[in-house]
Amino acid sequence: MTNQDVTLQRKAKGKRPFYFSDPDVDRLLSMIMALTGELSVTRDRLDTLERVAAVKGLFSGDDIEEYELSDADMEARAARHQTLFQEVTRIIVGDLEDLEKEDEEAYTAVVDQVENDG
Amino acid sequence: MSIAYKEQQVHEALPATSHDELARQHFVRSFKEHLVTHLHPGLKTAYEKRAKGKFLKAHQREPETIQEVGQVMSQDPHYQAWSSLLRTSQEMMWSATQIPVQRAIQDLAKQAAETPAVGSLRLNPDLEIPNYHTAVDIHCQPGGYHTEYIDNDVAQGAIYDRGVYIYAMGQMGVNNADMGDSTVAWLKQEHPEFKPTRILDMGCAVGHSTLPYVSGFEGAEVHAIDVAAPMLRYAHARASSKNLSVHFSQQNAEFTDFEDESFDLVVSHILLHETSSAAIKNVIRECHRVLRPGGMMLHVETPPYEGMEPFDTFIFDWDSENNNEPFWRKSHLLDLDALARESGFESHEPLKMMVPSAFQETQRSNTFQGGDFGGGGVWFVYGCQK
Repeated sequence: MTNQDVTLQRKAKGKRPFYFSDPDVDRLLSMIMALTGELSVTRDRLDTLERVAAVKGLFSGDDIEEYELSDADMEARAARHQTLFQEVTRIIVGDLEDLEKEDEEAYTAVVDQVENDG
Repeated sequence: MSIAYKEQQVHEALPATSHDELARQHFVRSFKEHLVTHLHPGLKTAYEKRAKGKFLKAHQREPETIQEVGQVMSQDPHYQAWSSLLRTSQEMMWSATQIPVQRAIQDLAKQAAETPAVGSLRLNPDLEIPNYHTAVDIHCQPGGYHTEYIDNDVAQGAIYDRGVYIYAMGQMGVNNADMGDSTVAWLKQEHPEFKPTRILDMGCAVGHSTLPYVSGFEGAEVHAIDVAAPMLRYAHARASSKNLSVHFSQQNAEFTDFEDESFDLVVSHILLHETSSAAIKNVIRECHRVLRPGGMMLHVETPPYEGMEPFDTFIFDWDSENNNEPFWRKSHLLDLDALARESGFESHEPLKMMVPSAFQETQRSNTFQGGDFGGGGVWFVYGCQK
């Protein structure tokens, strides 16, 4: 038996309390905090990277601060930011698109149509 | 307020962590610190400015009980957010400590088993784990104290050792030893003539509070018991790696196999609130049985509710319903004088006192509150001389 063969129990025995009137808000908050945690882990790794680079004489945190982005660098970065926003706000934008297409058929009507067209 | 940063003292049994595993644990510690210092104070504001008024309006008087404060606070958005985040922080704490342990579970067991033994370890595979430990996983550690995944398993002990450090945000010292350290310091100051030669620590878990008695009372024979084998295996390896001699045995503090009148000092640390109404009586009776005349019983706990404001009680009681501590509330409302008397402690007055924390290295929040167990700056000690 190796280390990999063992899976620990991950949920504590006992009914989990929820606090908001809709428990999905608790679930979402829990997921946001997990994401915040992973973001923090990544940021700590970058911090270590800078420190190791400095110790090894490669570059320092100051080099990063002093690095001057070219216009082309910033343009590429801004484009990536837009992609990121599009991904994160996808559900909101989707709702808006639905609203704009007021004449769109109800989903159930489409189901009815594809089920009964033959 | 910022809490001075100091990492847990490394010892041979402590699970190793990768860069990112450690960063994940540090995040949880910071998360808990943020909740305590930034969101916790808002609870009082929410109560005074929002929730209390709603109760007053409906009942023409202020809330008087935990339940009455809870009626209005459970509907308050700040309380809901704080509770949801605090519960989440607890779950993330165990998750972050489980990850490196699961990854190396076999290696940790092997390492503990191969640590050259100091003191002794006596396990009893036939011991029944009491239902107050199996009914729910206490303070939300998945698997509780007792679950074993492999032969010679130490996983739950390894997770607990690290979890306690993160939970207390380092405020119980680099060895999580503050409860033991504080009690030893109090004994030496208040009873310099008391020189125990045989000491028993009940419900020792991984021995955080046990080891201060070994260092504090040189030459004393120190015994420590717990119901959970993974805790004891880890505790023995940890004590051995520090070259401190403790005789660990797997026993229920309600009914031990020690002889009558065989100890000068019997102690426990945050044990009583993790038992039950029946068990706590058995434990105190057992203390009386194994103590020599003139011996001392001392149980370190958090302060009873008596005399607390209803709002403070409600917040301090959070763990009862929200952190799998089913006996927390009742244990904080007990008639401790009667408990001692009915267990045989009749010749001396029971002790009920606040003992200052021995850990002075960091700034404390100076109040006990949900989610900040180690931050009180004082411990409540309940005991009696036989």
